[in-house]
Amino acid sequence: MHWRRKWQPTPVFLPGESQGQGSLGAMTPGIPIFSPMMPYGTGLTPQPIQNTNSLSILEEQQRQQQQQQQQQQQQQQQQQQQAAVAAVQQSTSQQATQGPSGQTPQLFHSQTLTTAPLPGTTPLYPSPMTPMTPITPATPASESSGIVPQLQNIVSTVNLGCKLDLKTIALRARNAEYNPKRFAAVIMRIREPRTTALIFSSGKMVCTGAKSEEQSRLAARKYARVVQKLGFPAKFLDFKIQNMVGSCDVKFPIRLEGLVLTHQQFSSYEPELFPGLIYRMIKPRIVLLIFVSGKVVLTGAKVRAEIYEAFENIYPILKGFRKTT
Amino acid sequence: MASTSRLDALPRVTCPNHPDAILVEDYRAGDMICPECGLVVGDRVIDVGSEWRTFSNDKATKDPSRVGDSQNPLLSDGDLSTMIGKGTGAASFDEFGNSKYQNRRTMSSSDRAMMNAFKEITTMADRINLPRNIVDRTNNLFKQVYEQKSLKGRANDAIASACLYIACRQEGVPRTFKEICAVSRISKKEIGRCFKLILKALETSVDLITTGDFMSRFCSNLCLPKQVQMAATHIARKAVELDLVPGRSPISVAEAAIYMASQASAEKRTQKEIGDIAGVADVTIRQSYRLIYPRAPDLFPTDFKFDTPVDKLPQL
Repeated sequence: MHWRRKWQPTPVFLPGESQGQGSLGAMTPGIPIFSPMMPYGTGLTPQPIQNTNSLSILEEQQRQQQQQQQQQQQQQQQQQQQAAVAAVQQSTSQQATQGPSGQTPQLFHSQTLTTAPLPGTTPLYPSPMTPMTPITPATPASESSGIVPQLQNIVSTVNLGCKLDLKTIALRARNAEYNPKRFAAVIMRIREPRTTALIFSSGKMVCTGAKSEEQSRLAARKYARVVQKLGFPAKFLDFKIQNMVGSCDVKFPIRLEGLVLTHQQFSSYEPELFPGLIYRMIKPRIVLLIFVSGKVVLTGAKVRAEIYEAFENIYPILKGFRKTT
Repeated sequence: MASTSRLDALPRVTCPNHPDAILVEDYRAGDMICPECGLVVGDRVIDVGSEWRTFSNDKATKDPSRVGDSQNPLLSDGDLSTMIGKGTGAASFDEFGNSKYQNRRTMSSSDRAMMNAFKEITTMADRINLPRNIVDRTNNLFKQVYEQKSLKGRANDAIASACLYIACRQEGVPRTFKEICAVSRISKKEIGRCFKLILKALETSVDLITTGDFMSRFCSNLCLPKQVQMAATHIARKAVELDLVPGRSPISVAEAAIYMASQASAEKRTQKEIGDIAGVADVTIRQSYRLIYPRAPDLFPTDFKFDTPVDKLPQL
């Protein structure tokens, strides 16, 4: 079946498989669509199909997904799925290759269907025009907020793999400050992407200030390059995103007193100490700072999808505590 | 002096005719009397209270107590220790003039830190005149936290201050963090941190503070009459209801309300004076005042006697 081999998947990381790496390709922000993750290799292995009629394949997809939907409802919050944008991206790339090949649409063997898709965005035929969203019914009484938290800061660490002499780095590099009495690391800054790095003598480096995962990785690479050019055998080992901070606005004022009364075990609201309510969500493990004005800051995430998921979890709760005046 | 022996769990003595009757203790005679028939069931009951009442101005040399301090069973475990008093006669000194038995110090070494903390708590509470029930509650909280050992690394004074803060909140008479800071050597930041940790460790929560909790204290510190205090309470409550001050700390709102009420009455107070009493910066009072000033006529209670009419209130 040689026609199957023509389709090569674009190398996009699926967060469902590579959890710790966090680089999701060029993200397209602003697409609040969750669709089930397609396992990486389904396109490559030929799937047994009963007949090539596209409609029956769709029925099969429906049946499978309904089964999975039931499974999902049984194990309720087992694993909320991460960034759907990668899936959308992958599916759009699938679209591009489907056109020319003119073959039947791929079977959605989404074994890890855990996230509820949005209502009103489920086309019957996955045509190249509409994004690939599943045909499963959405869970009732849960609407999307339509608001996407924007990432404000990403903190990542990388190991350059060799011991560094901070004094030479501070003397020879541009935009580097080193005050060993105050802090035992060189603080270096670059303009594009606008980030700051702490470089330690052990060779480990912390990179802060980037606005996306790719930018953080790029910035870390740039710093490693600077260190390399200064004569150290710098490598780029174990790049890991440690923390992601996002913020958004729900556009209505919130009654924090009510929220702290009902969600006592998660919230902490002390106006004497801090004007915002500190909500520690258990799953995903994210801390949200909720303010009276309606602005929400989410932090503590290791991957982007945790921020989105946390916001989707908190949004209906916040709607319930909207100030009516 | 009340005799205790509250060990009702152990069925020690009951009246033979009325086994269900709870015996009344007559401490003067040391008897336990059945209230139903008047039978004296147990006599010569030992009183475990203190022998003599000790006052802080009594000279320490003439302490007539022969049995030591009163028992504190709720707090330090056991409290069984040996203390050797200072000798009085010549025989208590050895040939060099040192007293023979110097061992006055070792008492309940396992809870020495806890006893120290209790002393500190009592001192702090004394500075702001807190009643005994708050001090007892603080001691209990401290004991629970100490036994849990989850906050072992933190300074005991910080934990004690935070326990004092929580106890005041739980008793319904909250003190601001700044007031606790004033009587403690710990910074507000550290007390705040310990406060959150203790709430998590003990898995309790406290009620949210409201503006009315502080009115009586601040107004009496400023020597304001009752009408002004009631007016200020009303103003603050109305301001929060009408949501004129979203996101402002209740202390600041209370301050601004007191300022407005005092300026409208005969007893005027400046922002600086109010800020000094409450530990709030006068800029903060100004900010909150600016927020409630536009609706001033609606906020005053209807029966308030204006010394300065509403439109002549100072505008900052």
